[in-house]
Amino acid sequence: MTPLPPEKSEEDRIRPHVYDGIQEFDKRLPNWWLYTLYLTIVFWVGYWAYFEWFRAGPTSAQEVGAELARIEAARLAVAQVDDPTLWQMSRNPAITAAGRAVYDANCAACHLASLRGKAESPVAIGPDLTDNVWVYGGRPVEVHALITKGVLAKGMPTWGPVLGPRKISEVTAFLLSRHREGDPIVLQPPSTP
Amino acid sequence: MPAPVTIEFNDRVVRQFILATVLWGVVGMLVGVLVATQLNFWQANFATSWLTFGRLRPLHTNAVIFAFVGNMMFAGVYYSTQRLVKARLASDFLSQLHFWGWQAIIVAAAITLPLGLTRGKEYAELIWPLNVAVAFIWVVFAVNFFWTLARRREPSLYVAIWFYIATIVTVAMLYIVNHLSLPTSLTHSYPLFGGVQDALVQWWYGHNAVAFFLTTPILGIMYYFLPKAAGRPVYSYRLSVVHFWSLVFVYIWAGPHHLLNTALPDWLQTLGMTFSLMLWAPSWGGMLNGLLTLRGAWHLLRTDPVLKFMAAAVTFYGMATFEGPLLSIKSVNALGHYTDWIIGHVHGGALGWNGFMAAGMIYWLLPRLWDRPLHSVALANLHFWLGTVGILLYLGAMWASGITQGLMLGATTEGGTVLAYPNFLDTLNTIRPLMLMRVIGGTLYLAGFLLLAYNLWRTLRGARPVDGTVEVMAEPAAPDAAGRLGLLATFLNPPVLFSVLGTGFACAWMFGGDAVSVLGIGGLLLSTALALAHWQSRGRAWAGWYDRLLVNSAPFTVLTFIAVAVGGLVQMIPLAVAHKAANVEDRRQVPYTPLELAGRDLYVREGCYTCHSQMIRTLVPDVLRYGDYSRLGESIYDHPFQWGSRRTGPDLARVGGKYPHVWHLRHMEDPRAISAGSNMPAYPWLLVNDTDVAALPGRLAVQRTLGVPYPEQSPAEVLAQVDRQARAIADDLRAAGATVEPGREIIALIAYLQRLGRSEEVGAARPAQ
Repeated sequence: MTPLPPEKSEEDRIRPHVYDGIQEFDKRLPNWWLYTLYLTIVFWVGYWAYFEWFRAGPTSAQEVGAELARIEAARLAVAQVDDPTLWQMSRNPAITAAGRAVYDANCAACHLASLRGKAESPVAIGPDLTDNVWVYGGRPVEVHALITKGVLAKGMPTWGPVLGPRKISEVTAFLLSRHREGDPIVLQPPSTP
Repeated sequence: MPAPVTIEFNDRVVRQFILATVLWGVVGMLVGVLVATQLNFWQANFATSWLTFGRLRPLHTNAVIFAFVGNMMFAGVYYSTQRLVKARLASDFLSQLHFWGWQAIIVAAAITLPLGLTRGKEYAELIWPLNVAVAFIWVVFAVNFFWTLARRREPSLYVAIWFYIATIVTVAMLYIVNHLSLPTSLTHSYPLFGGVQDALVQWWYGHNAVAFFLTTPILGIMYYFLPKAAGRPVYSYRLSVVHFWSLVFVYIWAGPHHLLNTALPDWLQTLGMTFSLMLWAPSWGGMLNGLLTLRGAWHLLRTDPVLKFMAAAVTFYGMATFEGPLLSIKSVNALGHYTDWIIGHVHGGALGWNGFMAAGMIYWLLPRLWDRPLHSVALANLHFWLGTVGILLYLGAMWASGITQGLMLGATTEGGTVLAYPNFLDTLNTIRPLMLMRVIGGTLYLAGFLLLAYNLWRTLRGARPVDGTVEVMAEPAAPDAAGRLGLLATFLNPPVLFSVLGTGFACAWMFGGDAVSVLGIGGLLLSTALALAHWQSRGRAWAGWYDRLLVNSAPFTVLTFIAVAVGGLVQMIPLAVAHKAANVEDRRQVPYTPLELAGRDLYVREGCYTCHSQMIRTLVPDVLRYGDYSRLGESIYDHPFQWGSRRTGPDLARVGGKYPHVWHLRHMEDPRAISAGSNMPAYPWLLVNDTDVAALPGRLAVQRTLGVPYPEQSPAEVLAQVDRQARAIADDLRAAGATVEPGREIIALIAYLQRLGRSEEVGAARPAQ
């Protein structure tokens, strides 16, 4: 039997210096620790080379730009809405219930839960949505377009990008459910304060 | 041979700092529990401007960082340094000036922050006279420390001292640069940097305040107190050397990881991410040396609360320094940024690492500084378990909360074209239970800390303060002429030369043109290979040089300073020299009107940035929710920048024009009248207080000096312009049924909010690199 080689004496030797009673070993650095360090350094070289040196990857702006273009295309593809469809949707309880939820979460703050806005309370921000007076047109597609685009000057936010076409159709249908097809439309041009 | 004499250490100042640590620890944590409660119950804002979340959150962060950890650090540094270098602190006067000056600053901060006197930059909120005071007291600390080193009777510097040196020089550098400002009055100033520059400088500071205020001094304290308490040798000296230098060098570069996916130029984001990953191993080096020092002493953990606290603290340090690099990966950051995950991450460090190291150190010091055994070990153990359960509840709640809200905010539907949760409040109200769990965890942690305070009081009552002593030779050891490093020997040696060559070639590769960058990468690879070869054959020469460096405190300090200065310089100089107006991508901010500027000052005063960001990231969910992503040029005139770091409420970068004036009026008066379920405090005083228009001409003059293109205007012209705009807003409000005097603060704030996001298109200019 060959004797075991001497223990790694270099490692277990305590350094000669003592600081206020504190001694120090001088153990080797753990290999997994060293390789972690090397690996992250190699990653830095590779990542920088790929994105900043060769510019092989997209910039942040290019990346988000491409994604947004894809989203716009998808939205345009389903953007067709017309008056008969919206009236039909307004008679579908499942759709108007979904529209009610969208309304409560996003519209009721200004137009109030009753939809009656300023007609109910003078401090309300939005106008009445239940009467026959319309400021920007009362045809279903006009209402739909107004919600989508908003009227920034009057405080109506642009809901299109936030809610998306489906939710806007639902909330339009919900509003229409409070009206009847064929009701008179009284146009009142916007006031300028 | 001179006769040995006994010197007495200045432990009085250590005792003072210990008591201050406990006092401010209780205050800081108490405010923390209060602000956490405010997030759940808006009523806890108490309808007074002094106690709103936006003003108390800065008080909480500043109290915990500078008052709690600051005092703990000074106690630990002063206690251990005197013993490690065998010398009494150089000056009793400076020690007392340091202590009382620091406490005066804390008291002043505790008064000014609730009053709304702030610079509007995170962890750098204190007003400029206090900044001057902090810098002065820090210099007092530095003089006292280095003077003590100069009188040391132990020639060689122990690893704890290395970390203290790095702390002192780096915090001085960070603090001074990030606090450069132009005063407009005794209590108000505008930062020198604006927009993206301010963002970069702020997070260079903010990130490295974590590094050099909350980490390096505590590592030094660990290297002294942990082997002392365990009675075991430190695991590895060479690991100390490697992890110290890699840590101080790499840490500085990682600041931009706080600005990932923002308008910060891509190359800086890349640096921030990759250097954060490289920071992982150096950070874990400290953890390894701490935990492995306990080998052979693990059984003591059952009985000794000191070691319990320290072992847990080092473990939490390891956890937080793994989580940090993870969160710095751009895609992970897209999920975690602006959410509670970050809050949890920082509390893993603050409660786990800092708080537990403080507790371990205090329990170890009490019997030694007051000559009496700890009143109750059982209470200390109870403190440990209350604290641990508190931290785990806190961290668990914040992980769940952050990831939940991050996923909800990013969720899309209908083929990825529409947000699944368009209403921001849905995401907030989903995490409410988790925010409540955070309050419970924090309260448990505070309860544990109160046990420490009680234990301390019972131990001290009637106890006799005692100062440590050591027997030394009468004369300080004469510097060994052979060991002294001159200027040449400091720089002309293999480790320093190879480091300089490697860093230089790396910078040439990253920032040089085509030919230079090829040369740079070649040089980098070659110098790395040469350095490895040289170290293998001449390793003893490297070690010998380092042994000599350790008996030369001035060269050691100079080299440390150079190592920490490089990263900041490389990142800041390109942005600073690039002409502002050209460095804007395709949009340039329109300067605020005087009334809007007054409104912005109110936005800063109320601390709106603690909950609202002004930075739409280059991420699809951000763009769908808030509008087109923010460009670099859209905030170049913002002194200070207000990009924010946490979205408790929605982003405001493009809120201008989204709602009518009256919406904002009602919302500020009573947020829940507009947004049911909101946790935002009400700001009724804005409807009553008058805007400080008299200060505007002076503030505009300072803005002009800072480079914001305001025309020369007489004070009368400024006031007339303010009056015109305020009346228009008041008229519009009246038409909507609300009557507000044009001079009220709410008018200025509405003016500011309504112009957020306004910019002019400019010809596409590439950002300078």
